[in-house]
Amino acid sequence: MAQAAASAAQSAAPSLSLPPSQFARLQPHAYLLAHLSPPPATNQPSIRANGRAPSQFRVTSANTGSLTHTNGSAVVRLGDTTAVCGVRAEILHTEDIASWSVSRSTESSSAPTNKRRKLTDPTTKPNERIDSKDEDDNESHIQDFNLLVPNLSLSTGCAPGFIPGAPPSTLAQSLSHQILTLLHSTRLVRAEDLRIWYQPPNLGPEDLECHNENEQMDVDASQEDEKNKEIKAFWVLYIDVMIVSLAGNPFDAAWAAVLAALRDTKLPRAWWDVDNEMVVCSDAVSEARKLTLRGLPVSSSFCVFEADAASGWRAVVIPDAEEEKELDDSARKGNQRRWILADPDGYEEGLTQERICVVVDKEQGGKGKTVIQKLEKVGGWTADAKELKALVDISAQRWEDVRRILNEQC
Amino acid sequence: MVGPTATLTPLSRADGSASYRCPSTGSNILGSVNAPVELPARRDALRPEDATVEVFVKPGTAPGGVGERYIENVIKNMLAKLILGREKGYARRGVVITLATIGGESVGRGDSYLTLLPALIHTALLALLSAAVPLSMTFSATVLAVNASGEITREPSEKEAAAATSLHALAFSSKGHLLLNESQGAFDFDTWEKVHARALAICHGTLTRTSDGDVAMAEDVDGQPLEGTVRETVEDKLHQDYAWKTDAP
Amino acid sequence: MNKEASLSIAERDFILNALREDVRLDGRQADQFRPLTVSFGEEHGHVKVQLGKTSLVVRISSEVAKPRDDRPFDGVFTIALELTAMGSPAWENGRQGDLETYVINVLDRVVRHSNALDTESLCILKGVSCWNIRADVHITDYDGNLIDASCIGIMAGLQHFRRPDAVVKDGQVIVYGLDERVPVALNITHKPLSVTFHTFDEGKRVILDATRKEEQASEADVVIGLNNAGDVCYLSKFSGSPVDAMVFVNKSSVALEKVKQINGIIDKALQTDLAKRAKSGMAEESRAENDREIH
Repeated sequence: MAQAAASAAQSAAPSLSLPPSQFARLQPHAYLLAHLSPPPATNQPSIRANGRAPSQFRVTSANTGSLTHTNGSAVVRLGDTTAVCGVRAEILHTEDIASWSVSRSTESSSAPTNKRRKLTDPTTKPNERIDSKDEDDNESHIQDFNLLVPNLSLSTGCAPGFIPGAPPSTLAQSLSHQILTLLHSTRLVRAEDLRIWYQPPNLGPEDLECHNENEQMDVDASQEDEKNKEIKAFWVLYIDVMIVSLAGNPFDAAWAAVLAALRDTKLPRAWWDVDNEMVVCSDAVSEARKLTLRGLPVSSSFCVFEADAASGWRAVVIPDAEEEKELDDSARKGNQRRWILADPDGYEEGLTQERICVVVDKEQGGKGKTVIQKLEKVGGWTADAKELKALVDISAQRWEDVRRILNEQC
Repeated sequence: MVGPTATLTPLSRADGSASYRCPSTGSNILGSVNAPVELPARRDALRPEDATVEVFVKPGTAPGGVGERYIENVIKNMLAKLILGREKGYARRGVVITLATIGGESVGRGDSYLTLLPALIHTALLALLSAAVPLSMTFSATVLAVNASGEITREPSEKEAAAATSLHALAFSSKGHLLLNESQGAFDFDTWEKVHARALAICHGTLTRTSDGDVAMAEDVDGQPLEGTVRETVEDKLHQDYAWKTDAP
Repeated sequence: MNKEASLSIAERDFILNALREDVRLDGRQADQFRPLTVSFGEEHGHVKVQLGKTSLVVRISSEVAKPRDDRPFDGVFTIALELTAMGSPAWENGRQGDLETYVINVLDRVVRHSNALDTESLCILKGVSCWNIRADVHITDYDGNLIDASCIGIMAGLQHFRRPDAVVKDGQVIVYGLDERVPVALNITHKPLSVTFHTFDEGKRVILDATRKEEQASEADVVIGLNNAGDVCYLSKFSGSPVDAMVFVNKSSVALEKVKQINGIIDKALQTDLAKRAKSGMAEESRAENDREIH
């Protein structure tokens, strides 16, 4: 085999040409550049080394519920990048939360505090107002008590360079953090879904002092029962993501897996048993309910490939942004110098520095309006307002695709 | 509004250092830069022709965690593009940036670092300047909060940030490029464009081009542009350092 | 790496020969500390210590936590110190070196294990909630004698710190904001400080508060932790060549004198800061009152 290959290489030697795979390894930058900028005469569109158009995503597939020991799970494949996510729910008793029995006297009553800590004040507890727009007041439970615990690991061998036994790499740590902040900032999971209540039998007149914290609640007569309700425990969701195979763009795959797994998650019905002083779960499958998520935020990542990345470092004189814009337009007809590539694979990620990540949701805003949940750009100065606008539009399109893929599962 | 204050080279041991205080967010950051330094192990092998930039963020009153690793990555990616790591003496060496929160609130687990980000990168920039690390451009950054009624608050306090529907941290190069954008919370693109325009005005002032091509920084509602604050800090320090020379008869 | 570049032989000999003639590089006496300044920041428990060219920042913070199961009546007190490249280019970020472990160990023993901060007073509700006090030491410049400088910083910080007031009402802990109720000072039982000595020339020369270069040239170190009353709470001879037992005896009295002196400096700094706060606090308070009436 090796000999055959060697002789083949020898026979090709006189023409001094290399097979594409070797060219790609030796001169990765020039290789990708050659693909992206075909000779103007041929009139070909620019195409990436992996055969995709610049704004084309890889084939995505999702499969949910394949892990039986979890409350919800999903496998998402994004080309060769594969993320497995399992959601495990555990019960956290309120008496085990150090800050549970602590209330802060309102620091400044005028400020709109959506981080209010009047936790055990029974009058402020909303009942299940799932249809309501925003139940800001108690959403802070999720963040304050760490009810969502995502953890991402890049498993051994998912890409060359991941050796067994190494501590979590900075990449894994920052991905975990990104997932956590996105879970918090999109408020995807409702705190109400994670509460386990105790409803004592109604015994006598109310002697509870009513604070006028939330007037519209007090007016509501049907709230009488609610007043005695008490949170006894929370579900804590441990969201473990494993990148089984890493070929670029781990965040999109991981986030899609988290999203799909949470959509798949079912929590058993649980209540506080006052006689045994413990939380009891029903094992009837029919009683388990799904999480009611807020919207469907979908993430799309991009990178910017620069033609002059290797040669331009000495060009200390970088043109002004304004000048560059003018330059851009006039130069557009000639040859393009920068390409924004959607869903970069590992090869492309190694050649680029500028990264853009857009998370959009069209469900939450209603009427097909695109709501941006996160817009992140770092590592360069190519993408400005104009480019970002285009990317938001591409992401909105991508959202439709991902929704279709996820909905096929359920 | 009270602008930020900064000091250059307050430390003696590190190659370069800076302290930065932003009164409106209450943050006080101390930064140091050691460059160029020999890096242990084979960490230079990845890109032998370039310097390796390392950023370490140390929270003030808590152990470091995943949030720090993430923000370190963001700062590193941004600065790596600006530091001329192929200049003489820098290739295969390290530029080690250490940033410590020595005043103001720390960021809790799962909270975002956005409100601290401008202070962190300003400190890093000043420390890099103090260490005389070659840079292709300087920059300035700000953080804006948009609340439910669409009002934009500049450099929000912790309370304002908690009440905001979206938070945006932006950094602009001295030449007007958008270097960094970190936005979170729900918003639409029109809001972002407004935020972008406001941030550009805060960092650069309202741009007025004079005849000789210089960009003059005009003051407006936001007071002195941040770009000027950075510049002035360095000018002041230079003035102090060369007092012996300039003030001599 | 995590190790300072070692001294050249010439430097080492120079330091040693000078010491033989009772001369130190910076002109100090053998039993003399470098100039010490202790200053406080705006927040409670924010201390800046400058000891010669060694400088550090200590921040004390508090939060409500659950007490340890085996000690339901005790609060938690932790000292966190991490050496970063800020203090010295030789220290590597995020990697623990020998020096770091050693310094934390000594600080733990001098301050924490001597019960300088009464942890029982940190209990709020037995077995349910207590205060978690944390002292973060940020080394900003390193020029020797980390232990003494950190000790000074932590002790000054603990004395300066005020935690929010908390009361228990029907099993419910209410924490009052700093602007609502006068915050509470910590219960300090005694004020231990450490004094570090280094020996040279086969134990014949003993100096205190060594600079980085002197530390590198020394043979061994002796740490004595004492409080104002002269109670020894820590005594160690950690590494290096043997030291004559008499050094401990003789130097204990020197250390006591130094501890008293330093505690005096801390007290004075605290008083100045208190006076300053009282002055500006008056104006602040009247403004805060007005603010509240508006709502």
